[in-house]
Amino acid sequence: MTDATTTEPTGGHSRDLSGARDMIVCENVSKWYGDFQALDKVSATIKEQEVVVVLGPSGSGKSTWIRCINRLEIHQEGRIVVDDVELTNDLRNIEQVRSEVGMVFQQFNLFPHLKVIDNVSLAPIWVRKKPRSEAEEQAMALLERVGIPEQAQKYPGQLSGGQQQRVAIARALAMEPKIMLFDEVTSALDPEMVKEVLDIMKALALSGMTMMVVTHEMGFAKEVADRIMFMEEGQIVEEGTPTHFFENPTEDRTKLFLSQIL
Amino acid sequence: MAGFGSGSEIASVAATATVPVTAPPETPKLPPGEWVKANLFSSPFNSVLTVISTASLGFIAWFFLSFIFHPIRQWNAPATNLRLMMTRAYPEEQYLRVWACVAIILVLTGMSMAVWRAGSTMPVAGLGRKLLTTGALLVLLTLLAPFSTGATVQWLAAALVVVAIGESLRRIADRGEAERTVSTLTLQVVALAGVVTSLWVIPFGHHSYIPTRIPQVMEEPGTVALSTKLPWTIMLAIVVAAYFGGALLRDRLAKNTLRVTLVVLWLLAPPVLVYLILRDPDFDMGHVIGTDIPIFLAYAVLGSALLLWLTRPSTGEIGRIVAAMVLVAGFATFLSPMRMVLRLDMLLLAAFALAAPTFAGGSRSRNRYTGAWLLALGVMSWLITSVNTASTVKVPGGFFIGGIAITFMVAIFTIVLSVPLGIALALARTSTMPIFRLLATWFIEFVRGIPLITILIFFSIMVPLFLPRGMHLSEVAAVVIGYTLFSAAYMAENIRGGLQSVTRGQHEAAEAVGMTTAQKTVFIVLPQALRVAIPPLVGHCIGVFKETSLLAIIGVFDLLYIARIVIPGQTEFMGSARESILFIVPIYWIFCYTISKASQRIEQRTGLGER
Repeated sequence: MTDATTTEPTGGHSRDLSGARDMIVCENVSKWYGDFQALDKVSATIKEQEVVVVLGPSGSGKSTWIRCINRLEIHQEGRIVVDDVELTNDLRNIEQVRSEVGMVFQQFNLFPHLKVIDNVSLAPIWVRKKPRSEAEEQAMALLERVGIPEQAQKYPGQLSGGQQQRVAIARALAMEPKIMLFDEVTSALDPEMVKEVLDIMKALALSGMTMMVVTHEMGFAKEVADRIMFMEEGQIVEEGTPTHFFENPTEDRTKLFLSQIL
Repeated sequence: MAGFGSGSEIASVAATATVPVTAPPETPKLPPGEWVKANLFSSPFNSVLTVISTASLGFIAWFFLSFIFHPIRQWNAPATNLRLMMTRAYPEEQYLRVWACVAIILVLTGMSMAVWRAGSTMPVAGLGRKLLTTGALLVLLTLLAPFSTGATVQWLAAALVVVAIGESLRRIADRGEAERTVSTLTLQVVALAGVVTSLWVIPFGHHSYIPTRIPQVMEEPGTVALSTKLPWTIMLAIVVAAYFGGALLRDRLAKNTLRVTLVVLWLLAPPVLVYLILRDPDFDMGHVIGTDIPIFLAYAVLGSALLLWLTRPSTGEIGRIVAAMVLVAGFATFLSPMRMVLRLDMLLLAAFALAAPTFAGGSRSRNRYTGAWLLALGVMSWLITSVNTASTVKVPGGFFIGGIAITFMVAIFTIVLSVPLGIALALARTSTMPIFRLLATWFIEFVRGIPLITILIFFSIMVPLFLPRGMHLSEVAAVVIGYTLFSAAYMAENIRGGLQSVTRGQHEAAEAVGMTTAQKTVFIVLPQALRVAIPPLVGHCIGVFKETSLLAIIGVFDLLYIARIVIPGQTEFMGSARESILFIVPIYWIFCYTISKASQRIEQRTGLGER
């Protein structure tokens, strides 16, 4: 890990992660919704501290895939191993994986009946069994980190979309996860709020968090990703560094997608 | 702060207190003449409607007033039988217990009002206008009523006093610059104080009814009996004192501790009050020392030793086998004759033994678990002993109590018991486990398909016949069980509606932070579901309260039964059913309206429809 010492502010794609541990391993993961195949033999390995951005047109299976990684969706074929724990129907494995994998959603999904501080500290208190005072201290530190400590005593409904999404990130971080999943976290935001959320994600990537990000923000992908994966029709069509992906993609479908988007 | 949502006004107002907010222009109030013209006589059709409906309302009012104030009405029937309507034949010498119960409820009410900051303020000008309207209405009604000249003059004078107070309040409010407000709680206390004072001052008449073989009615002129006015005066003082006591505690103690304590006290209140009114167990101390205490001690010592061993983390699988054997032993006790208390204690021990591995751990948690066992055993032993001991309160008749007391008792126990049962049924019906889902669905559909009165009759007449020999269930207990099952089925459907309103995203967010299903349900799903379910649940509670009147059909001496059957059956008040029934109408209405108002406040508090 060299980023912390180099002056380059962002962009993990220059670093060498070949020696790092495997955090997420997917082997031939397939999933069907009825007759519709959402994932078609998806295989990938994500290293510790790696930032992977998943791109693709809507309906290509990106969200389904990352939702399989903390078992919000159940894959029907193949293997998913997260931090050496395989996801099976065993509830203990699922709970262990979920407490190590943080997730941020497109629609924030904050708990509307709880104050911001309680949104953040609830899971540490009850899942991690931390004393309340310690959990609240940690929650305040996290709110500080995402830049909204003054909103701690408000309810989510009183915050703007960008602030809500930052609380959601703090809530996921409160469980001290090893991996963070971001499922189109800026898609429901007004344009002027996208940056405040992306900035936090960049800082998080810099701190060495393993991240999987589904997004439509090409700028973010270029700047922060170690690796970009392009999905279409439930398959990973192409993957590579941002330079490779944006400047000389090999697949025709990738070129078509880029030409539509850029 | 960085950007604010253009769409969410609340957010921007809440986040930046510095943004100047311009108030919308106030709609000017129309003078009364123009208001009438604009709202009541705006078109020929509207004018006709206004005239016709005013005439009908006037006719209905005249009809009711002539009914109420007709000379042949026997209003002394409900007045004389007030005690009968409240508690039926509860012995007079034990009335201190009833007043103690009322006092407990009022202390809890007063403290809760302080702790939850009940009440609001209303502008003095608005109060003045309300009093003016009331006075005008009173004048109108007095003129419609078939009063003698003397009575008319008295009522008109009263109406004029109200009008005068209203007008002076309006003047006072207009004088100052700032808007003057008054707390609604103060108003309520002033109103109640007025009512209590009237008991001492106004000659309502001194009624008493002596239920001997030949009932004697004594009616004397003067104010009401001292046994009525004195306790109520004390009760008013108690509720006011409790409010200020609550306010003191509120400022000194942590908010949540206080609220949780009060909620627990409210939940404990119904059984404690029933105990206070009905049970003063006449313990046979020789028997208690010779039998009950040794049994308790034996179970306490042996059970604690067993549980301390079972909660050791190293006990492992053999502990489960021992626990299962305790359970089998518990059921085996039913095969041979022995004291019931031995069997029940054994079953309780089995339950604790089976749960023991869950609480295994360090010495602190083991001691705590054993402590819980001793506490549960103690409470159960004491309950069994006191239930098996005759009460010193001797009440005539099969039903120990009646009137509004039984109405309340059945309604409160039914509501309190059916809420948890309803939640459990709703959760079971939405659960992913097919057995639970099937059982809950069948139960709900079955119970909802039967009329309430059928269930009440079944439970009051049939269930006691099915019980094993030697086991008795009081009829009221049987009725409450049946009514609870019925009510829980409906509550379950209301709560299920709330559960469905919780979005999939909420479930996913809770799962994504690693919560177990139980944690997700308790912390995330149920709070949101119950908040949505408040309006239908309150509607259901009002229904439960009113439909206790069906108890009259199965012969329980509830408020309606006394008004419809008992009072008109007294020789002095033959055929006075209409008066008595009309008398209980406002009683029911006041309580239902209070529940409804309280629920509106709860909805506002929980911000339903805002977030």
